[in-house]
Amino acid sequence: MPHATGPARGKGRAVLRKSGNEASFSELSYSYPLKLLSPQGASDAPVAIAYMMSYGGGLVSGDQVELDVDVGAGTSLLLLTQGSTKVFKSRQSAYLTPPLSPTLDGKAPSPEDKETRTAATTQKINFTISPDALLLLLPDPVTCFRDSSYSQLQTFHLEPGASAAILDWFTSGRMSRGEQWDFERYRSANEVFLDGKRIMRDVMLLESAPPDASLLFLPPRTLKDRLGPYACYATLLLVGPKVQDLIASLEKAYQSIHVFQQSEPLPLVWSMSALEESSGAVVRVAALETDMVRTWLRQSLQGLSDLVGDFVYEKAFV
Amino acid sequence: MESSTEAYLLLLLSDGNLPTGSFVASSGLESLVKHGHFSRSWNERDATINFIRDSLQSNAHSTLPFISHAHGIVTGYLSGEGTLESALDEIKRVEALYESMTLNHVTRRASKAQGVALLTLFSKGFAQPSWVTTLQPESAKERRPEEVVDAFKTMVRRGDTHGHLPTCWAVLTASLGLSLSRSQHLHLFLHARAVLSASIRLNTMGPYAAQQLLLHVVRPLVDATLAECQDLRIPPHFDKPTNEDDDGPATTWPLGEILAARHDLQHSRIFNS
Repeated sequence: MPHATGPARGKGRAVLRKSGNEASFSELSYSYPLKLLSPQGASDAPVAIAYMMSYGGGLVSGDQVELDVDVGAGTSLLLLTQGSTKVFKSRQSAYLTPPLSPTLDGKAPSPEDKETRTAATTQKINFTISPDALLLLLPDPVTCFRDSSYSQLQTFHLEPGASAAILDWFTSGRMSRGEQWDFERYRSANEVFLDGKRIMRDVMLLESAPPDASLLFLPPRTLKDRLGPYACYATLLLVGPKVQDLIASLEKAYQSIHVFQQSEPLPLVWSMSALEESSGAVVRVAALETDMVRTWLRQSLQGLSDLVGDFVYEKAFV
Repeated sequence: MESSTEAYLLLLLSDGNLPTGSFVASSGLESLVKHGHFSRSWNERDATINFIRDSLQSNAHSTLPFISHAHGIVTGYLSGEGTLESALDEIKRVEALYESMTLNHVTRRASKAQGVALLTLFSKGFAQPSWVTTLQPESAKERRPEEVVDAFKTMVRRGDTHGHLPTCWAVLTASLGLSLSRSQHLHLFLHARAVLSASIRLNTMGPYAAQQLLLHVVRPLVDATLAECQDLRIPPHFDKPTNEDDDGPATTWPLGEILAARHDLQHSRIFNS
């Protein structure tokens, strides 16, 4: 369970630098509820692994996490999480809601007086990636529990010659409790700048819509209606010289797909689009189960192990 | 603008025969049907309505903020603000943002094809001919909408900017003097109608049933979507990293996004998108 003391603001900073043929963190600092861990690697290359975690394994409403990550020239960073990022609706938000009692001036409270929105859990990460550096951001998916609200903002500043593989994925919720797309709001924005120019801005916004009174003859269109039958969605952004081989191999696999009339949705679907003005690509995946997406990603991104070594790559998608 | 003029313009703009490229675009419907997603509904009518709802919402979230901003730029210029150069420069920056946010190549391709078709439509079909100007000297304003469209079209031809559908729609409707709310509403209506036209061609719906939906179902759907999205705007200072949670443009239907991007993988297809 997450901590019980209410919303928290955590900050962190990770600075990776090359020294000799090794990469080491010249800074690795964090504060509650954020935690950063870097296992000592047995790598003989300038490659480092770091885990981003939250105390108690989850974030509650109102929690804010801010992290700066600096991937120095010539280094590679594999940034992971340990298990999915669980977003809870705080129990306390029920107490924080003002009771619907008459206000001091004796007027009856209007519905606007009642705070109906859950305080969002926010996570902001700023990445700077230097020339000849590689960021592999391969976390576990975000899982938003019933009535939770999550907002994630990630900005990637790539200098010329820098590379990144950025994975951002989410599941339909706590399936063991029968939750399917029952959260209130999920927003995830990823902005990629290459040499100061914005080349990608991907904003995913999923909101449970209130039933519209003017559409009484139609049932409300829920998130589950719109996103089903799939229970897990992933977006992968690829950019830079070091991921060109991976882009080429994915493109080859993608172009070999031929879709004939299906009688029911495929268990897993993926799409790929190349950028036109710079050497990057966007891959999106959806599947009936989270593990299907995980397996697909592990196999499809296997080429990344050539860049960081099998020992490092096998830490991802476990 | 006088309401009779506006009503007449709406009649012209909603003509289904206009060569705007919408007849070759299914907005992902063909791919969605091919991928077996219609089998999840009880019948094709319900499946079509669901597609229209999801597609309208997704389209509104991703295009209305751009339409609103670009419409404001052109309207501002025509009413005497700034210079033509500064207006075109800002439209170019808005288009760069749209390009960076439209990460699906099939949607990008369709957007550019339809955008350019709209600019051509204005120049060839809506611009005031010179002999009319001489008969009505009061319409010879200092700032002519034809100038804006021509200059923008030249930029697109030169490859200086993209010519995406939302920006071109805004330039066209603002140049014709259509209000922003009319422009937004008509954009969503035309999107929904194009989906219905596509479903007739795909034989998932008959023409009479489509007409019936257009009158009784699409109208409240367009109104509801408009109410939800008409105030969405692109983030202020959008040239810089927008490291804030904002009400700006967003992808709201990842399933539609994946299936629309898979359009070209279909073994056989009749639409371009």
